[in-house]
Amino acid sequence: MNLSVKLGASALALMLAVGSAFAQDIKVGHPDWWKNAGAKFDGVTLRGVTEATPPSNYISDVLAPAFEDLTGIRVEIETTSWDQMYDKAIKDMEAKTGIYDMVFIEQDIVYAYLARDFLVDFTAELKAHPDLKAANFDEANLTSFADNFRGKDGDLFGMPMEAFIKVYLYRTDLFNDPKVKAAFKKETGHDLVPAKTHAEYAEIARFFTKWGKDHDMKLWGTTAQAHTGHPASWYEFFESVAPTYGVYNWGINPDKNYAATVAHGGSMNSPEAKAALKWWLEMRDLAPPESVQSTWTEVATTFAAGRAAQGLVYGENAAWIASDKNKSRVVGKVGVALPPLEDGVMADAESGKGYIGYYDGGAFGTPVTSKNEEAALLFLQFLALPEIQEDWAAAASRITLTSTYDTPKVKALDKELGGYYTMMREDGKLFRGAPPYPFHAQVREATAQILYKVLTGDLGPDEGLDQMAAKAEEELQTLGYRE
Amino acid sequence: MKRRHPWLYLLFWIAVSFLTLFPIYWLFVISVKPAVDLFSTPDIILKSFYWQNYIDVLNDRTLRGYMVNSLVISSGNAVLCTTLGFLACYALSRFDLPGKESIFFWTITNRMAPPAVFLLPLFLLMTQVYRIGDFTLLDTRIGMILVYCTFNLPFAIWTLRPTLDGIPKELDEAAYMDGASPFKVITEVVFPLCRPGLAVTLILTWVFAWNEYLLAATLTNFSARTLTTGLSEYVTTTGTEWGIMAAISVFTLIPALIVFGLVQRHIVTGLTFGAVKG
Amino acid sequence: MHSNRLGWLLLAPTLLVLGLFGVVPFFYVVWVSFHQWNPFAANPDMIFNGAENFRRLVFDEAFLASLGATVSFVFFAVISELVLGYMLAQAFMKDFPGKGFFRTIHTLPLIMAPIIVGSVWKLMTTPSIGIIPNLLDSWFGFDLNIGQSAAAAFIVTVVMDVWHWTPLVTLSLIAALVSLPQDPFEQAQIDGAGKRQIFWHVTLPMIAPAVLATVFIRLMDALRTVDEVLMLTGGGPGAATRYVGVHIFKEVFPRTNYGYGSAISVIVLYLTIVVCWLLYVGMLAPRNTGKG
Repeated sequence: MNLSVKLGASALALMLAVGSAFAQDIKVGHPDWWKNAGAKFDGVTLRGVTEATPPSNYISDVLAPAFEDLTGIRVEIETTSWDQMYDKAIKDMEAKTGIYDMVFIEQDIVYAYLARDFLVDFTAELKAHPDLKAANFDEANLTSFADNFRGKDGDLFGMPMEAFIKVYLYRTDLFNDPKVKAAFKKETGHDLVPAKTHAEYAEIARFFTKWGKDHDMKLWGTTAQAHTGHPASWYEFFESVAPTYGVYNWGINPDKNYAATVAHGGSMNSPEAKAALKWWLEMRDLAPPESVQSTWTEVATTFAAGRAAQGLVYGENAAWIASDKNKSRVVGKVGVALPPLEDGVMADAESGKGYIGYYDGGAFGTPVTSKNEEAALLFLQFLALPEIQEDWAAAASRITLTSTYDTPKVKALDKELGGYYTMMREDGKLFRGAPPYPFHAQVREATAQILYKVLTGDLGPDEGLDQMAAKAEEELQTLGYRE
Repeated sequence: MKRRHPWLYLLFWIAVSFLTLFPIYWLFVISVKPAVDLFSTPDIILKSFYWQNYIDVLNDRTLRGYMVNSLVISSGNAVLCTTLGFLACYALSRFDLPGKESIFFWTITNRMAPPAVFLLPLFLLMTQVYRIGDFTLLDTRIGMILVYCTFNLPFAIWTLRPTLDGIPKELDEAAYMDGASPFKVITEVVFPLCRPGLAVTLILTWVFAWNEYLLAATLTNFSARTLTTGLSEYVTTTGTEWGIMAAISVFTLIPALIVFGLVQRHIVTGLTFGAVKG
Repeated sequence: MHSNRLGWLLLAPTLLVLGLFGVVPFFYVVWVSFHQWNPFAANPDMIFNGAENFRRLVFDEAFLASLGATVSFVFFAVISELVLGYMLAQAFMKDFPGKGFFRTIHTLPLIMAPIIVGSVWKLMTTPSIGIIPNLLDSWFGFDLNIGQSAAAAFIVTVVMDVWHWTPLVTLSLIAALVSLPQDPFEQAQIDGAGKRQIFWHVTLPMIAPAVLATVFIRLMDALRTVDEVLMLTGGGPGAATRYVGVHIFKEVFPRTNYGYGSAISVIVLYLTIVVCWLLYVGMLAPRNTGKG
């Protein structure tokens, strides 16, 4: 007892003694204008809710204090987990409580919020208050990712604060190892290069899984985000694998009364979707055993631990995998490529009919129930100032302004990441976010339960997709979107 | 009665303790490993220690605020629930109230509710109904102390009722005969005899409040956030910070251990009272 | 004896708090359960639909499967906790060196928040990198895969729950055992009763109310389990560990199915009350009539 009191007391004393301010020098143009603009909102505290990711943590640790220094407006950011963040924002907006002045909007939920008129029209609001328009803010600076947050007439409803593409990562050390290359050539008759097609990808995956087994290494041929109870697996299939087989927008056809089954004009259970699922299941079997419990987090950690030779990994993780020695064993050994595709998908992506992978990210928007809409307008502009972007990108690997690509720190990082930013800049247009559905989470949850059964083997892939397509239509009917 | 050698019990408890402690030991192992080592074949014995997670946690000022909130909320709630539960049980045990057995059973039904759907009405009540002027219960410590009563007060009533029923009524009747007031009877006659039960109730209500996550996550935003909600900040789409989560968890064990140490003695003290009573 | 007014006065704060934070929300949930309400449906408003949600429930395979899984989870977890907890509590009634120390160790699992318990057990049991599958593999050649095998995931959730909550049972039973009078035991020994007879005819009747209270608490807490399982398996593999708490969470949180989720909750609450009432009457009624 006494010992535990002593231990506890000294630990508490230690906690109170250790303290460090996380301050960083932020220089912003036209400081006087900002000061004057902020003076009107004396005593206002802006409150925001977001997921505790590195870009958001940078906002609460660095940008919010800097903004307060600049304008005198306090900003409090509540960081929480992914489901909680949504639930809290939705409860606040639905009940019109007005707790939050800013909510994090992931690209996939924005259409649901727009359908409910939850968000303030940023462009219109700024036009209505010309005195609040900062000279160093320009909507035209934003990358094309901002289009995900525009309403029907092109007005902006959310200020992008992070953006990533889900890329094909591979281990350059393995792919360039002469011994490995020779063995691969001998076994398959091809040269070992990053795959362009699914067949090539599967061949590489089989080769490395066997190589790992033969050499008693903890190495497998691919990652798989194939959790049997978490929607991460659903996302990997519908947003990363199915599109590369030409099944876009989850196989749901908005022009045909939101049909999902082939019979009604959808493609969720099309032969392409079925081929995609079978291919993905094979990859899952070649992946490390933890894949059945893997969400995006574990996929990244698996790759960072050096357990996979290649894999599809979210861009927000690519940066730390390639550069953070505390978290990754493969620093400096990571190459980046476009995901493997079926024939015709690249043409679809270039013409705008389809896409080759997932472009994700989020924005800050202001709920219409906010009591400080005008002060929030200032903060949202602040988030898009060119002068604060470079350090933010260096700290959290996100880019939302075109000019950020040319800053020295990002260029250095680009080299370290095997050209990830160059790819995002040049090929970003080939990737796309979630389809513009207001029923995103609802259809996902309804169908995911069937996908989990396919993953455990209780259901064949063909029947699984048939059932999922039927289930999606049923859910859309219940929700009233499908007549 | 045959008495087995005390050393046999000691051996037995050492074996049981290994099983009990293993997941906690593993929590510690996770907290002193760099993230990169978590995804590899694990060794049972630690070979090196990596303290960065602890340094990060100690440097985090918001966590200190969370720790204070957690301590205030769980201690306040445990004391409130144990007190109210004790008084309620005294009433249920000593008075012939009409329908008291139904009331007793009804109290426990408050704990049975699946929490997820009750979050919405609680949120609405705490923001729009239970308010005085601009003051609302949302995101306040007192609000959380009251909300936690929904699961802790029934618990207190149910664990204290057998204890109070077990104390012979003759004892308080004798005190009343001597002219004692009800207040005196409750505090000086009944209370001391209930100490083991009260201690256990206090500990367990404290634990339930300390560990609660879902209600705190929804009903606090900035000023009343607790440690468990702080933990959820480390589960994100860009990676779960297992190491930091584990380091915080190790820290949360310290205040909990102190509270346990302080209160547990009274369970033992209770032994002698039991003997006196017999 | 004093007037009942004092009794009601002592009960009043309890009734007030539980009324404001328990009963009022309950009526709101019941009201919602008679509506179709999903804020992201084509029509986001609450639409009264009578008992439609409840009619749908009866044929909802996902819900029924979840209910079935919950029943076996609760059954195995609570029975094991009760038996183990009683045995450990009895072992604590003996004198041996370091008793206080071991009692503290034994209560440690209680002070870990469910989300932490779920996280640690997830890291301990993840196939190929968790310590438990590794040890089982090297000792017995057994492949424990909670991401693929429904049985393995089920067993791990039960073991996790037993590890976490047996100390609660032990503590409550210690409190009950220490306040027992000694006379009946001595009398029984003089009468030559065996150990088993003493347990069934002396100990058990005396601690029955405490046992019942503990079983109730564990029963309803196990029925409400969300955080630990969500962290450990997410309800998988498939729907193997999608217990009602998890099922409701997924209906209400990501799927924002407020109307239907409320209906499920009302039914689950109703079933819990019925089960507990039967247990309550079954265990306490004989005792009370015996008294009367």
